Amino acid sequence: MRSFFGILKDLLSRDGRFRFAFIALSALILFSLASYWSPHSPRFSFVVPPNMRPNLDYWFGTNSRGQDLFWMMTFATRNSLAFGLMTAALSRVISIFVGLTSGYKGGLYDRVLMAINDSFIVLPVLPILILLNFILRGQMNLFTLSLTMAFFGWAFDARLMRSQVLSLKEREFTNNAIFSGMKMHKITLKEHLPFVMPIVFSTWINNMMWAMGMEVTLSVLGLSNINIATIGTTIYWANQHQALISGVWWWLGAPVAISVLLFLSMYLTVISLNQHLDPRTRLQRIREATTDGT
Amino acid sequence: MKSKYFVIAVGLVLALLLGSFAATAQDFAEIAPGVARHETLILENPEGRIADPDRFNRWAPGGGASTGLQQLALDALWFVDPNAGIDGEPWNNALAAEGPIYNEDFTQMTVNLREGIFWSDGVPFTAADVVFTVETLRANPGMSYHNQLALLVDEVYATDDYTVVFDLTRSNSRFHAMFTVRWAAMFIMPKHIWEVVDDPLAFDFNPPVSLGPYVLKDFDPTGHWFLWERREDWERTSLGMQYGMPAPKYALYTAPGPADQRVMAQANQNLDVIHDLSPEGVQAVISRNPTSRGWFEGFPWAHPDPTLPAVIINHEVEPLGDNEVRWALQLAIDIAGVSMASYSGAATVSALHAPPTGMYKEWYFDPMEDWLLNYTIELAGEQYQPYNPDATLAIANMVRPSLGDQVPTDEAEIKKALGYGWWNYDTDMAEKILLDKGFTRNRQGNWLLPDGTPWTIDILCMGASNPTMTRVATMIAEQWTRFGVPSEAVVSDQLWNRMNYGDFETAIAWSIETWGGHHDFFFFLESWHSDFWRTSGELASGTNRMRWQHPELDRIIDEIRGIDFDDPRGFELGMDFLKLAVEETPLIPLMSYNVFAVTDWYFWEGFPTSDNPYANPVANWSNTRFMFPMLRPTGRQ
Amino acid sequence: MKNAFLRYIILRVLQCLMVIFVGITVTFMIPRFTPVDPVEQAITRMTMFQQSTHPEALEEMRASLATLYGLEGSVFEQYLGFWGRLFRGDLGPSLSSFPRPVMTLIRTSLPWTAGLLLTSTIIAWSLGNIIGAFAGYFHHKKWSQVLGVMALVVWPIPYYIFAFLLLVLLAYVIPIFPLSGAFAIGSSPGLNWNFISSVLRHGFLPALSIVAIGFGGQFLGMRSLVSNVISEDYILYAEIAGVPNHRILKNYVIRNALLPQITGLALQLGMIFNGAMITEFVFSYPGIGYLAYTAIFSGDFGLIMGIAIFSIVAVALAVLIIDLLYPVFDPRVKLR
Repeated sequence: MRSFFGILKDLLSRDGRFRFAFIALSALILFSLASYWSPHSPRFSFVVPPNMRPNLDYWFGTNSRGQDLFWMMTFATRNSLAFGLMTAALSRVISIFVGLTSGYKGGLYDRVLMAINDSFIVLPVLPILILLNFILRGQMNLFTLSLTMAFFGWAFDARLMRSQVLSLKEREFTNNAIFSGMKMHKITLKEHLPFVMPIVFSTWINNMMWAMGMEVTLSVLGLSNINIATIGTTIYWANQHQALISGVWWWLGAPVAISVLLFLSMYLTVISLNQHLDPRTRLQRIREATTDGT
Repeated sequence: MKSKYFVIAVGLVLALLLGSFAATAQDFAEIAPGVARHETLILENPEGRIADPDRFNRWAPGGGASTGLQQLALDALWFVDPNAGIDGEPWNNALAAEGPIYNEDFTQMTVNLREGIFWSDGVPFTAADVVFTVETLRANPGMSYHNQLALLVDEVYATDDYTVVFDLTRSNSRFHAMFTVRWAAMFIMPKHIWEVVDDPLAFDFNPPVSLGPYVLKDFDPTGHWFLWERREDWERTSLGMQYGMPAPKYALYTAPGPADQRVMAQANQNLDVIHDLSPEGVQAVISRNPTSRGWFEGFPWAHPDPTLPAVIINHEVEPLGDNEVRWALQLAIDIAGVSMASYSGAATVSALHAPPTGMYKEWYFDPMEDWLLNYTIELAGEQYQPYNPDATLAIANMVRPSLGDQVPTDEAEIKKALGYGWWNYDTDMAEKILLDKGFTRNRQGNWLLPDGTPWTIDILCMGASNPTMTRVATMIAEQWTRFGVPSEAVVSDQLWNRMNYGDFETAIAWSIETWGGHHDFFFFLESWHSDFWRTSGELASGTNRMRWQHPELDRIIDEIRGIDFDDPRGFELGMDFLKLAVEETPLIPLMSYNVFAVTDWYFWEGFPTSDNPYANPVANWSNTRFMFPMLRPTGRQ
Repeated sequence: MKNAFLRYIILRVLQCLMVIFVGITVTFMIPRFTPVDPVEQAITRMTMFQQSTHPEALEEMRASLATLYGLEGSVFEQYLGFWGRLFRGDLGPSLSSFPRPVMTLIRTSLPWTAGLLLTSTIIAWSLGNIIGAFAGYFHHKKWSQVLGVMALVVWPIPYYIFAFLLLVLLAYVIPIFPLSGAFAIGSSPGLNWNFISSVLRHGFLPALSIVAIGFGGQFLGMRSLVSNVISEDYILYAEIAGVPNHRILKNYVIRNALLPQITGLALQLGMIFNGAMITEFVFSYPGIGYLAYTAIFSGDFGLIMGIAIFSIVAVALAVLIIDLLYPVFDPRVKLR
């Protein structure tokens, strides 16, 4: 097992996409950490002149509520990132557990778990989130929202993992391993995990995308906590002031640019990492290296 | 292989594109086959899409209300305009020939009806229709006004074809309010249609037989638009009879979508009357479309509705039951900041517990100004003068740099547009009050209640359904947080419900709505009597959602109840109420409900404005019907 | 073998029924736990624009409304009654459009959502997968990389922003398409060209917004799946054996990479009811999503539940169909 830094170094030197993603992501994280040095609290409005175009003083411009969009976006990025990460992490735990158990145990376990699983897939998340908003009396903060989303957001990925396991189990190398007397959990760890990991990673990103996208959806519909700066609530407030129509395009431009950069770099990170970890791509690299040589 | 898939893919896209371009491009001259654009007035219905558009039963739940139905096809006995009215008289006798006639002790009301009015199917309108309407509603639980009629009406009968008599179960000097349109009221049903209906609650009344000057021509089965056509016999309606022919041959009520779409639609000359916008939206549409204008020619554009947005305070939540604490919170509000954040300065603020609109400035605000200037209250053991007469001048100065000439400079003009004064922004005094009450500050500077627990306040607001009020809530939350009471604006779709049940601390909403065109306060005061007071957890009766009670309040209400609607003593009692409310701060008054109704003068002119305030331009009010006979075509096609 | 297949089908059908049962039960229960009482909602709504509802009248009003809305009796009695009505295809009355049955409202809106979202989701899925497969297989080609970058940049834009920009651009700045609605005023619904062309014109922008965003996701997913598959041994063998490119692509690559994408499609079709909300909100399109949006803001539980139940049944059936078809696509999965 190579160290984390080894992989990182390897990827940085080999993969242009990863280099871009790594730099962008680090920049965004630094950007979000800058919120701790913000001269203004995100809770207060009319602290700077409103509706200023992006300029040297206000890099991202200022909004109609008299807030400096640069600093507002540092908070928004931080909160949205934290929210996405937490939701994805929580739901990964559930989906890995359910997907692997169901796939390996099979039989009754599989049927019961998948029945539960499918019920969760089927539940319409948006109406339920809205109903929960009623129950929690609009006190829904990012943490409770993330818990709820994780609770409803694992099922689809568990099914993906299960089908991956099912198809792995039917493959020749699994049968070979069983015939050669390898224990199932060993097979799982040694032979199958490298195939499951890419799915964990890609669903991680997809789940983060889904969670953050859902946050934007809820905010646009006016159903989130509008006091917390996130990418979604920034868009919500811009809409409240009809920013696009009244020509304050940078108010929407800032969250859009940030979210595009964020999703783009996360996605690139993951496909690079996946490729790197996938033994087949590693093999292909070696093959390419040798064929290039001849 | 590769090319085959691409051909299919590109083919699909092209087919869609072509299909749409080949479609008959919308001709500007006609909005529908045979319906000329320049003969049509297009208005926004703020209800949006109607889920059951084929239901026109306005007397039971379901269906749309302001789809043109209650503006153009239904009629009531009386109307009160929130502004000056067409002839400078806000009161209008519509189906009735004159005002209500009560007996000595207000136990009987007699109504004389107009003659010569006909339903759109040619049947004459008579007293039988009125009697039938009242009896039907009274007999059917679930229909509107059912419970009130069951409670209040002993008997209703016609003495001849044009006279209706109501025998009441108890003395009630405001019984006619039920039949008088402010926004809506009890509309009259056609007896000849409804008398054969088995279940009036389920009856759809489709197509609606009209008593107004228009009939339904067509409507969208998916609920986005309703097209009305002027009746051939428009002069046989109460509106046509009084004010002549309504100018638009057609009226189209549409659901144009969210605010941005409304701006775009009007800029494309496809929406003559926008119901409401954000202040930014108004500036956007006015700068794009030279023929757009608001109620005021320039800043602040909006029409002030006779409704008073306020900080509604639940008196049963500690420490908000204490009047001095409420005063402290009031003094910790900077009204200029609230006005800027909510309406971009275009608010009409009010220090009194009445909307500063229509005739109210003349009736109440002018006479009260001296009293306010000299008003002294004992707070924290000190004599204190809280009134700041120049509050709105400060707001005008704040918006002048960005809006320049649009902002009036004349003091009287400013006060007409932005309201008179407001309360001091005096956090020092607020601090004194709290210290005097035994509150303390913790290390972060936040207030602790006398028992040492931290004090926080939630401010409920309506969110997406009312952006301006949400902006008020966040600004006040900010100001109170700065003052040391961590506060948060909480968006709730259940705002009214939660307020009705007392499940709130404070809220940005309204409890005070008035006629606007009439001085009587009984409209909202009736339910504030302590007889009807309900504790938190029970359903508030009427609008006393703040759970306020006061012996002096009961005295005022009782006295109003005993006098006639038009009795001049009503003015004095109104002022007694306003003084008591200043003293006791049952809620913190903020401003009038300013609606950014924007009209487009491209095809039509003569819309009501602040210079010619003959009606309300806010398109979902029933009394916007008075606009129709006053409009003139511009001749543009 | 025949028996095993039958057993498989029966098990799947049973599971599907259970999913529907669990889903519907949960959907029934959740509103009961909310503090929001539909009757109080209705009273609030009815008294909102009414002048001075007499205080004493309210109690009676509340009682009569509870009877009307079928909210009497214990939760369990209501639950039984609910299933009873459900079997008769009756979802109860809508509370905001009382007494109109929820079924009628859904029936009016469903064709629009089905027409718009079904079509555009399938278009996005097909286009994304076909082009994604090519791009994955020819991942060294210039056009493949350009497409990849485009999809990467469009895909993460929040859908709302993307849809709204399309609307501003193509309905206002260049007013080719209508701002809102599903068909022109005065074109009577029916099988005439006038109506159909009007529907196409009104549906174009919302469809475009879904296809553009959906395409990106499908494209990226398929491309990475394909680039995984082409590193499998059997592809290498096929290449060595000299099987032509297009046959490798068609018979080995797409067929294998498509499996997870098919599962994805089934679920996406079910999730249409979620996605519909923003699309129809932005374009004021008269479908189920817009209906749900208005239901939420009027606290219309009858309607929300009706829509939720529709969504549950749709996805459960989609999953069932996929489960039944899966062995056909993937011979490696044994029938159990």
